[in-house]
Amino acid sequence: MADTHEQWLAQIDAELDGELPLAERAALAKHLATCSHCAGARASHLEVRVALARSAGNPHAFVVPRPSIRGGTLALWVALALAGGLIGGWFASQRWGGPGGGSALEETRGTIVVQ
Amino acid sequence: MGLSSFSSVLLVLAALQGPGTRLTYRVRVIQPVAGAQRILASGAVSGPIDSDMRLTLRTDTAEVEALFQVTAVGDTVSLGGEFFTRRRVGQSRRGLPIWEEDNYRRLIQVTWSDTARAYPFGSATKPGALWVELVLEREFAGGEARPGESFDLADSTLDFRLEAVVRPRRARVILNLVRGDTVSAPRPIDLVPEQPPRVVQLVLRGRATTLFVGLTRPEPARSPRDRGLGREADIVCLRVAAAAALPGQTLGTICGRLNNIARQLPLPTGDTLTATFSWPGPR
Repeated sequence: MADTHEQWLAQIDAELDGELPLAERAALAKHLATCSHCAGARASHLEVRVALARSAGNPHAFVVPRPSIRGGTLALWVALALAGGLIGGWFASQRWGGPGGGSALEETRGTIVVQ
Repeated sequence: MGLSSFSSVLLVLAALQGPGTRLTYRVRVIQPVAGAQRILASGAVSGPIDSDMRLTLRTDTAEVEALFQVTAVGDTVSLGGEFFTRRRVGQSRRGLPIWEEDNYRRLIQVTWSDTARAYPFGSATKPGALWVELVLEREFAGGEARPGESFDLADSTLDFRLEAVVRPRRARVILNLVRGDTVSAPRPIDLVPEQPPRVVQLVLRGRATTLFVGLTRPEPARSPRDRGLGREADIVCLRVAAAAALPGQTLGTICGRLNNIARQLPLPTGDTLTATFSWPGPR
């Protein structure tokens, strides 16, 4: 449990980084409700983070940073998902495919032979 | 032209006219059961040499309608079949049956003594697949143009039908004039389709009505299925015109099959003309 301002400021940093456990977030929220100094410090930290994100070209930046996905990785996963869907669809079509599937059309047609 | 050449020409003409030779399709529907052959149905259809045969087979999961046609060239016969099939292939999401429709043609060459075997539901190699055994016969007969049909059904679960499809070269038309509850004497007349109209006089209560009547073929059926199966083959149309009418002016047209059912045409005089179409007698 934090007792000093320095400790509360460290807790605020951790909270904004998304690394604070729920119980400690609750304690921090309770402290912020009674400590105007810490509440102001938190608002100041938020403003700094937003300013930094905007300067980095992200006008809708989230305060809590999210893990970034690289373009190549994303493309790979999309390609894998598409390929999986295609293979699954082809297999399902072969196995259960629409009505009338199964044998070739010519096999279902009548024939006339001479005995 | 010598006498023998003249006789040959007459013989060829007589052969081309057809009714001298009668064609019979003998049919058996057979299902193999444990190595034996079970006859589900049998029958025969006969008629003039250009007669076709319409065969219908229905089971719970498949329907086949086929029109068999024969073209004889000497001792060889071309046997053609126009098949219209429906197969039940499953159910829709709402539980309704889904049918697959197909249409195809088959043609083989046989001789008169051959037995042809048709597998209407396909898969000649599939065990248990039923087949239709078809034997063609010809015999010399008089001028009998009326088709004959007979069949015997051994298995009542099978819907089986055989019909002769014959385009009549001539038709017997019986005309009556009706006024109120009075009917004129029947006036039978043999007519040939697409020939010039003939004059008919019908007398009712002492008043004579003179009409021009001519026989025509109906318009081809709109549906390709009906056309392919020759459903309109035995339908003829009687064009009726007044005696003083200009060419092309008619009082009306009566169409019907050659099935002895009277059909009516109201006339401007207030009378009703009834026409009954039937197959002509042999000659």
